[in-house]
Amino acid sequence: MNRRRFLQLSAFGVTAGAVSLGSGPAQVTPQELLDLLGPETVRGLGRRYREMVPAADLLSATTSRGSISRRIRDDFARGRTVVVGGWVLSLTEARQCALFSLLPA
Amino acid sequence: MHIDARTLPDGSLLEGDVCIVGAGAAGISLALEWAASSRTVLLLEGGGFQYEPAMQDLYRGAIVGLPYYPLQAARLHQFGGTTGHWAGFCSTLDPIDFEKREWVSHSGWPLRQGELDPFYARAQSLLELGPDEYAAADWQRRDPTMVPLPVDPRVMWTKMWQFSPPTRFGTRYRNAIVDAPNIHLYTHANVCELEANDAVRAIDSLRIRTLDGKEHRARARVYVLACCSIQNARLLLASNRRARGGLGNVYDNVGRFFMEHIEMPCGHLALAPSHSRYMRMYALELGTTKARGEMALSAAVQRERRILNGTVSLEPGSLDETAKSTFEWGTPTMLDSLRAWGERGNPGAPPATSPGPAQAPRFFHLLTRLEQAPNPRSRVMLGDEGDALGMPRAMLDWRLTDLERRSFRAIYEVVGRELGRIGAGRVQVLDWVRGEGAWPRNLSGGWHHMGTTRMHVSPREGVVDPNCRVHDLANLYVAGASVYPTAGAANPTLTLVAMVLRLSDHLKSKLS
Repeated sequence: MNRRRFLQLSAFGVTAGAVSLGSGPAQVTPQELLDLLGPETVRGLGRRYREMVPAADLLSATTSRGSISRRIRDDFARGRTVVVGGWVLSLTEARQCALFSLLPA
Repeated sequence: MHIDARTLPDGSLLEGDVCIVGAGAAGISLALEWAASSRTVLLLEGGGFQYEPAMQDLYRGAIVGLPYYPLQAARLHQFGGTTGHWAGFCSTLDPIDFEKREWVSHSGWPLRQGELDPFYARAQSLLELGPDEYAAADWQRRDPTMVPLPVDPRVMWTKMWQFSPPTRFGTRYRNAIVDAPNIHLYTHANVCELEANDAVRAIDSLRIRTLDGKEHRARARVYVLACCSIQNARLLLASNRRARGGLGNVYDNVGRFFMEHIEMPCGHLALAPSHSRYMRMYALELGTTKARGEMALSAAVQRERRILNGTVSLEPGSLDETAKSTFEWGTPTMLDSLRAWGERGNPGAPPATSPGPAQAPRFFHLLTRLEQAPNPRSRVMLGDEGDALGMPRAMLDWRLTDLERRSFRAIYEVVGRELGRIGAGRVQVLDWVRGEGAWPRNLSGGWHHMGTTRMHVSPREGVVDPNCRVHDLANLYVAGASVYPTAGAANPTLTLVAMVLRLSDHLKSKLS
């Protein structure tokens, strides 16, 4: 991890310290999307989403509690969705993608 | 009984009780209802039993407005009509399709779906379909591997289609028509004009021409136009000797409200493996599949979003390709090969279809068939050029509105969210669906021509009354999808045949 990437991750609270404080790996790993689309596409979606929203909006992906998959379902049910690269994503998983795109490939 | 009109002496007079113009799905279905009756039925078909380029050329016309498919390739001008190359998709209209929807101008049928139910049941056998069942649960009961996606029924549902073999009316019912002594089938008998009486309150006779220069007349108590939406309108408009704007056109409605189904690729589905088992319900192998489902939005969501009716079908594919629209896939050459396949008796799989994937597919193209909103500016008119029989050619001005664009967007927003909610996968929406500009270059209909002689209780709003009789003309009726006030999301043929059977019952009671 280079210094720039480390600073980016720190800004989003995705350093090892943040993960250990309650944001487990699941918080930044959009597992369903990875299973469906693979890491390259998910990283690309993450990069696009980072261009769409302010960095601060991404923090909730790592600070909210509760089951990620339940939050994603809840997002879809409540219309908390965003279109990234044409994909209809839950806000939670869009933020996950953004964070995932900052992790080393 | 069959007579080729070219063999008749010039100036012949054909006489009967009922005269049907056009021998496609509508005309043949209607004539069959009268077989073995005491009435003489004249069935006038412009073409012959085979495909003839000179006959097809009579359907050539100008395209203005949005780009459209070549008119002479979109319909078959021969005995059996366009069933000679159709694919056999059949489904019923939904209850909401018959309703007056305040957000859809000119919507609402002067009848409810329930009134059509007994005729839908009768139409099933003519089209060689399965049981009169269009609920997903019915098909799941018959085949437990057909399981609909577990979507919230308040949001979405699985709308069922059945598939005709497809029935080629020209071969399937040829003997039944020709052998019926009271049905007088005249081929190569092109009706060029409806001749009204002096008061323009009824039709006196029809003027018939053949390509070899003969002219005949047909006379009957009742006349039924069953020539397809473009030709029905063209014939009424061209019959302008006693009425300047054509017959049935006092309020300038003839030819207006031309509708299509907009059939377009709209996106992709990346399917969660946990939901592979549901895909059997939505799979289609033409020539083999008897029934399948398509995803549709509930009536409640259509009302809430104020959008048109439409469905979403699934077709295995990859994310890096876009499926072809109907017009892109179904080139005139492709339709020719479909027709040739039909002439051979539909052997094996249709041309250019491939067997289903060997493995459970992970990615699907999402394709939508959307109803077009009734639009008086979308219309069929007469062009300046005449055809080989001296009749003005049709000119099509196909127009769409913002409501169609907004409906596409809303459908995919809802489908994307609902499939995400149930964990079925994720939906990718194509750029054109999300955009608001011009229609994409691959804009496509489904060759479903509807609405040019729409049904309405008021002559100010429609061409035919609820019994399909042309307002103000006592003995002229219209059969076919041209009477549809709205298009719904279902392919038109099943409803067309059901409506014809309803008309037949009405005519029988009227003539008895």
